[in-house]
Amino acid sequence: MTFLALLTKELRLRLRRERTIWVIIIYILLMGLLGWFYISHFGGYNGYNNNNGLSETGVNLYYLLSMVQLFLIMYITPAFTATAVNGEKERQTFDMLLCSRLSSFSLISGKLIAGLVNAILLIAASAPLFSLVFFFGGITPAQILAALLVYVVTTIVVGTASLFCSTLLSRPAVSTAVSYMVVVLWVVLPLLISFILLASSGFISAFLLAAAGSQPMPTNSQTSLLFVWNPVTALISTYPGAGGLATYTIGKIRIAPWLAYTVLSLLITGILIILSTWTVKPNPMGRLRSHTRKDPEPKEATATA
Amino acid sequence: MEATDTVIKIQNISKRYRTVNALNDFSLDIPRGTIYGLIGPNGAGKTTLLRILAALISPTTGQVWFENEELTRSPSVIQRKVGYMPDFFGVYPDLTATEYLEFYAGIHGIPRNKHKRVISDLLELVDLNAKRDEMVETLSRGMKQRLCLARALVHDPEVLLRDEPASGLDPRARVELRELLRTLQDMKKTIVISSHILLEMAEMCSDVAIMQEGRLILSGGVDTVTHRLGGSRQLEIRLLEQERVSEAIQLLKDMAEISEVSNDEGTTLLQAEFSGDDAAMSRILAELITKGLPVVSFAPRSSGGRLEDVFMSITEGSTAS
Repeated sequence: MTFLALLTKELRLRLRRERTIWVIIIYILLMGLLGWFYISHFGGYNGYNNNNGLSETGVNLYYLLSMVQLFLIMYITPAFTATAVNGEKERQTFDMLLCSRLSSFSLISGKLIAGLVNAILLIAASAPLFSLVFFFGGITPAQILAALLVYVVTTIVVGTASLFCSTLLSRPAVSTAVSYMVVVLWVVLPLLISFILLASSGFISAFLLAAAGSQPMPTNSQTSLLFVWNPVTALISTYPGAGGLATYTIGKIRIAPWLAYTVLSLLITGILIILSTWTVKPNPMGRLRSHTRKDPEPKEATATA
Repeated sequence: MEATDTVIKIQNISKRYRTVNALNDFSLDIPRGTIYGLIGPNGAGKTTLLRILAALISPTTGQVWFENEELTRSPSVIQRKVGYMPDFFGVYPDLTATEYLEFYAGIHGIPRNKHKRVISDLLELVDLNAKRDEMVETLSRGMKQRLCLARALVHDPEVLLRDEPASGLDPRARVELRELLRTLQDMKKTIVISSHILLEMAEMCSDVAIMQEGRLILSGGVDTVTHRLGGSRQLEIRLLEQERVSEAIQLLKDMAEISEVSNDEGTTLLQAEFSGDDAAMSRILAELITKGLPVVSFAPRSSGGRLEDVFMSITEGSTAS
């Protein structure tokens, strides 16, 4: 009940803002223009292409749009949740929420879902653009669904991390900046670490030799583990022909990277929600505890006139 | 006052923020159905006390009882009994007045089927029915203040806590606010307000507590406080003719209840220090009339002004109770 009231209020406020409409328009325009630019310049379609040529165009268009969409999601989602809690403090409405029967969990989940609805609205709005890919062929609906799952999970994990920042940091500008830094580090750090590890183990020269055809492609399980929780790797693993990409093995179970990413992300989201719930209100778990509570019954006050 | 009449009992609470003691061994009883004013200069600890009563922060030491509930043991129970209005508005500008109250009714757990009636009653109470579908951002400061009051009352609390209720309001809005508080008092609500505008507190409150540096200096009914500390009230008597002023001064000085009489030269206004009850005041007026003195006005000086004098005198040094 309290959760629904908060969610309704959040959705009303967010969807009434002019900015929400403009974000959707610009998002769709950007994706549409990118698709149009690719088809018109690199598609090579002249009306006489064979089926293989068309499907290659479709696959490449899909690669481009899906990767751009992933980065746009990571760029836009923090804006929806990174100021959700400290924004209330800045607006001086937070005390009134504390005075209500709204639980910490309802507060966090209401704020999170409202923020995610905005981000997922963008993903939904871009769906017609992705349906264009089916005209060219080369992509199966299952692959698109897997990619969609990666998008939604990425939105959830980035949104939750940003929300956690907004519970920890009191200034909205700081929490937004920190959220973006966290997202950048999340995506780039495994790449940097693996590059350092590979450079130190001579892996890169082996990779270059393999690329030149002198020796078989090397594998490195140490570095592939670094990418187990990486949205880019997860998305690439949904692409056609990515079957060769390393799968993760737990006992006898083999898990595709996008599935491993989804499971890990949901676990981390859960942890972040618990942490946010813990930090959102001052002194949770019976947050008002007096240091001296020895007398069970009230005594007479002494300082009245 | 009987013990059962006390709605809030504050016992020896202290609140320490790192290096600052906001409240120091503060105790106070707040009777049910009163408009209780917390008076003190900036930094006296009024807002800290109200935030503790609203269960927003905990005291470092000491206890607060709401009837039989101890604040630190059951803050959520207390919050259902208390409506808190901070000194800032804290509104969502993109909601209408109805939506704003609907939201707060929802998060206070009021069933959805009762929202319409509760909101309608509240808007009527604060006289905002005509603005129910207006966006909050379009409301005037006084209207926003009244809307916030409706918000604080949405769960029908027994106690209303208001921090600096009249700050930034124009005179008309202040009068409306005062009327509203009186209506709430008639509805058997206990109201605790803080302010440093003493005249306003004297007009609004039935009881006051004077605070300084986190300590309670004095508390009780407005008249009691001024009487106890000042020891006397001041009578203002205006005569029609200046020629009779010296005669009136002499007559007043001969009366047992009058300790001192002053008059600015060339004026017909007399100021007499008076210690007595209303019956004694009535006798003095009758005596003046009997002697044929042309009395134009006869009244005790407003308690607001007296309260201000009392406040200035006790907060001048570091007097403690």
